[in-house]
Amino acid sequence: MNYTRIRKLRDKYAIVGVGYTPQGKIPGRTAMSFYAEAGANAIQDAGLKKDAIDALICYRQFPAANDEPEATPYLVAQHLGITPAILSQESYCPRHQFIQAVSLLEAGFCNYVLIIYADNAVSGKRMFINEATHSESPAYNFAYGEFGFVADYAMAARRAMHQFKTGPDTWKEIAVNQRKWANLNQMAAMHNKTLDYDQYMNSPYLAEPFRRLDASLISDGGRACVVTSVERARDLRHPVVAIMGVGEANPSVDIHQSAYMSGPTGAKKASETAFGMADIKLDAIDACEIYDCFTYTVEITMQDYGFFSPGEGNEFFKDGKTAPGGKMPVNTSGGLLSEAYFMGLTPITEGVMQLMGRCGERQLGEKTGTNKPEIILCSDNGGVLQTHSCLILRRL
Amino acid sequence: MEINRIATADTVFFWEGCSNHQLRFQKCDECGHVRWPASIICPKCHSMKTSYIVSEGEGEIYSFVIYHAVFNSNFKNKVPYVVAVVRLKEGPHLLTNIVDCDFAKLRCGRKVKVVWRKIGEVTVPCFQ
Repeated sequence: MNYTRIRKLRDKYAIVGVGYTPQGKIPGRTAMSFYAEAGANAIQDAGLKKDAIDALICYRQFPAANDEPEATPYLVAQHLGITPAILSQESYCPRHQFIQAVSLLEAGFCNYVLIIYADNAVSGKRMFINEATHSESPAYNFAYGEFGFVADYAMAARRAMHQFKTGPDTWKEIAVNQRKWANLNQMAAMHNKTLDYDQYMNSPYLAEPFRRLDASLISDGGRACVVTSVERARDLRHPVVAIMGVGEANPSVDIHQSAYMSGPTGAKKASETAFGMADIKLDAIDACEIYDCFTYTVEITMQDYGFFSPGEGNEFFKDGKTAPGGKMPVNTSGGLLSEAYFMGLTPITEGVMQLMGRCGERQLGEKTGTNKPEIILCSDNGGVLQTHSCLILRRL
Repeated sequence: MEINRIATADTVFFWEGCSNHQLRFQKCDECGHVRWPASIICPKCHSMKTSYIVSEGEGEIYSFVIYHAVFNSNFKNKVPYVVAVVRLKEGPHLLTNIVDCDFAKLRCGRKVKVVWRKIGEVTVPCFQ
């Protein structure tokens, strides 16, 4: 691929505000309330007025729980009191939010893009079974007792165990390292719960080879951020965090028929585009915020990015190399495994907050015995490894 | 356990085959690709010219998981059970169950053969 044109977009757009909500188990609230709160907080955090927002991009909306109204993008805009020129919402997880934002801004259709994900998945008792779609009819999958994302990703992880050296010994390192970050993050669901190898190994199997502790949390809450030009960002209140590179790839084939379970997944191609745009190599990366719906997702993503060869993940993650004090910090909020599940916005907004220097006890740099970050690599994937987005953020 | 509407308009031929203990797939007349999931076109060459083949029902385990958690109450007495993707000799990757097996002997790459099971009124292909 020729990167000449997209390279002109390097460091041209920035993420200027992050919106949080109460998160974890927050009973008595609608999904919509989290959308509205996260969106309003991101706008406020950026130091903008709501009327400045002229594009709204929502992550995947899951069917409403508790007989609530569906959280359509129209309703999110209505609750926020905005009438954006551009409005979109993904349906089955293709992760194009940030490429879409950059492209729309570059084309000149809008100036400030608000990106949101929210859900009341705990209170709404979401099982993430009907949400998993396949190439066969629902009745076909039901006949075989095939239910949901845990087993789908476990299927991929099992194939990887066959193809190269991996398994619980590698995944426990990922789970334990991330928990150490969560222990430094007061917002993390697992803030007060330490985790050691024995606890990981004693965690019950959900769908073998995956244990409960290989799986993401389920969360109430929401997360949002605002994207605009670097030029405008310089007039706003926070240090400028630019989008240095962004790439997307969509292998698309259902996991039941996929030949990429053990890689290369979309992470390889998406990162080639992002690194091509950023015009840097892997050695420029100071930390990673990797979409970690399951432990194995972190391994295969970083393997496909080229941090290590197939089967060398154990060596890469062991001895706390990705934990506080480690050489390559990974998922510094605790991630989806130990902080909260807000799709790709959990890792991406954490990358932004770290580069802005707003992470308190878990702040990368002297405080956590790590390198002061200038460039952070973030990932987002969806479906069952069917789509991947790679984002390189840089503090200007 | 009741199974409703397992066939779609695209897979009527497949389920009719199953009821006769035949594993049927579409084969492209232009490029010879044997496809699954069933589709009106060949994903390789977009030809709509299609024949049907009967698979020998032999293949290998491409990957598998052992369900321990009960995600649906119908499966409360069935755990632990094995859900697998079998790569058939003819090419298709088919989601299925590995039945009557010793879990300790399960391996990716292990050779398996189709066996037929009835769930309610529906005959489904499983592997052993």
